[in-house]
Amino acid sequence: MTSMSNVQRAGAQILDLPRRAMSAVAPAVVPAQSVDDWGRDPHLVHLLSPLFTARWAVSVGGVEHLPAHAGALLVTNSRRLSFSPLYVSWALSRATGRAVRFVGRPDLAPIGPALRRLGALLHDPIEVRGALRQGELVLMAAQSATHPRHAGTVDHELIGAAVAEGVQVHPVASMSTPFTRSARAEVGAVVRTRRARRGPLAEIELAEATQRQLQTMLDELGGLHTGMAPIDFLGEG
Amino acid sequence: MRGQRLLVSGMGGELGSLVASLLEAEPWVGSLVGIDVDPPRRRLRKAEFHRIEPSDRERIVDVVTAFDPHVLVHMAVWEPDARASTAHARRFTADATSALLGAAAECPSLQGIVVRSGIEVYGRRRHSLTRPDESAPVDPTSEFGRILAAVERTAAAVGTRIGVPVAALRLAPVLGPHVPSPLGRLLRQPMVPFSVLADPPFAVVRDTDAAHSIVAAARARLDQPVNVVAPGAVTALQAILRGRRVPIPLIGPEWAIARRVSHVLGAPVPEHVMEVLHRGRLADGTAAAELLGVAPAASTPEVIDRLFAWESVVRVTKAANQVQGAVA
Repeated sequence: MTSMSNVQRAGAQILDLPRRAMSAVAPAVVPAQSVDDWGRDPHLVHLLSPLFTARWAVSVGGVEHLPAHAGALLVTNSRRLSFSPLYVSWALSRATGRAVRFVGRPDLAPIGPALRRLGALLHDPIEVRGALRQGELVLMAAQSATHPRHAGTVDHELIGAAVAEGVQVHPVASMSTPFTRSARAEVGAVVRTRRARRGPLAEIELAEATQRQLQTMLDELGGLHTGMAPIDFLGEG
Repeated sequence: MRGQRLLVSGMGGELGSLVASLLEAEPWVGSLVGIDVDPPRRRLRKAEFHRIEPSDRERIVDVVTAFDPHVLVHMAVWEPDARASTAHARRFTADATSALLGAAAECPSLQGIVVRSGIEVYGRRRHSLTRPDESAPVDPTSEFGRILAAVERTAAAVGTRIGVPVAALRLAPVLGPHVPSPLGRLLRQPMVPFSVLADPPFAVVRDTDAAHSIVAAARARLDQPVNVVAPGAVTALQAILRGRRVPIPLIGPEWAIARRVSHVLGAPVPEHVMEVLHRGRLADGTAAAELLGVAPAASTPEVIDRLFAWESVVRVTKAANQVQGAVA
């Protein structure tokens, strides 16, 4: 009877090995709880920070324009493969201490779920509106432009989400180059329109005003200075 | 408001009997009648219970019209693979819904209907909202979601026809001790599969929080759907690790095998649980506090922790019996 118990005990210990191994190793990699209500994983963002830092050294300015607790829609310029929403949201999260979500998650595994863990939302005005209602900072990109210092068209439907929720809209001028780590993210003052509108003109005019203000900020930022003026244009991206 | 007559369908289920016990303590509830195919899971002091099959429409109509309730709390909803197979769950729910809501419509005193629904009604189609609120379109993508959407549709049609408010409580997956939940059952297995490519977040709600919300909706005569979701979220992998289970990473085709093995081991994985594991399930539950005056107290991680804290086998000893007797 005793030997039977020993055999059972040994069997149970062997069966329990994988569980014990997981308990020992897993918490370091996968914390017991790290996703927020929208699926963003601050722990994963923290783990990936060295990668972001290796690629971008972002200097951030103008964060004092952002509300301390309320939601706000931020609009940044974008150029193909510049990943500006990614590094701007990451840099602003670090600078403000608040989660900054960005718009533009493809709903396809494994990229979609991975981007969701980094704070991405669907490109959907209802989704953006829901996040703004919860007091989140949401970053959207203007339409991709060919020149790094041109602000593309701003999607007025997403701006409509901010209008509907009555939250501020801020332009964020971003600049990076594919050759160096240097990058810049400058938050502008809240965008205001000259007239208060009741209908859909409110978001259309606010989107246009945001694009104009973003363009002004990009003009003020200036271009890349490599020390060799003729090739400066190559490094902008 | 005092002396209200309440009819609770699905009183035999864990959630139903929990709601009934809370309603018994409400000062505005005068009399309470329950109908279900199974007897209540807990001791009820005031409630009168009728054990009726969902297909026995004539008896249901007799009991309901004789009682003439002010409020119908309809919880006779079968979750696939919780207590019945998917096909049975569909049939039982449809039978019970048509009989009970049809009978309630004949009651002249009826002032409100509360139905148990779920956030499965939003579905998880591609490009569906990450965190839908009550204004999001109903677009179920699982059989359980379709069952719940049909219940909501029938209740809304009856409410419009006879002019009474209808509240649909869209509950996140309900977990609690003794609640038959396929998700809870799967997570409590020693080895649990999860989607390594997605591992999406999901939210749940504790059974007592869900029951308090249903009672509040009955009291408030709410006339709209409301999400009842515990704050916070976890992914399947995090839930598995919280329970010190062994996670089995799966990519795609092997899920079919995993589902069959899990079924054989006593934890079937229905379509809506597969959806949770692959597409996640979140919803915006912030309106509940404003509309109902109550909000879930336990967060999703806490509910998950309690799921793993329950004893697998509760041994009834003489001492425990004596303690229970003293409490009773």
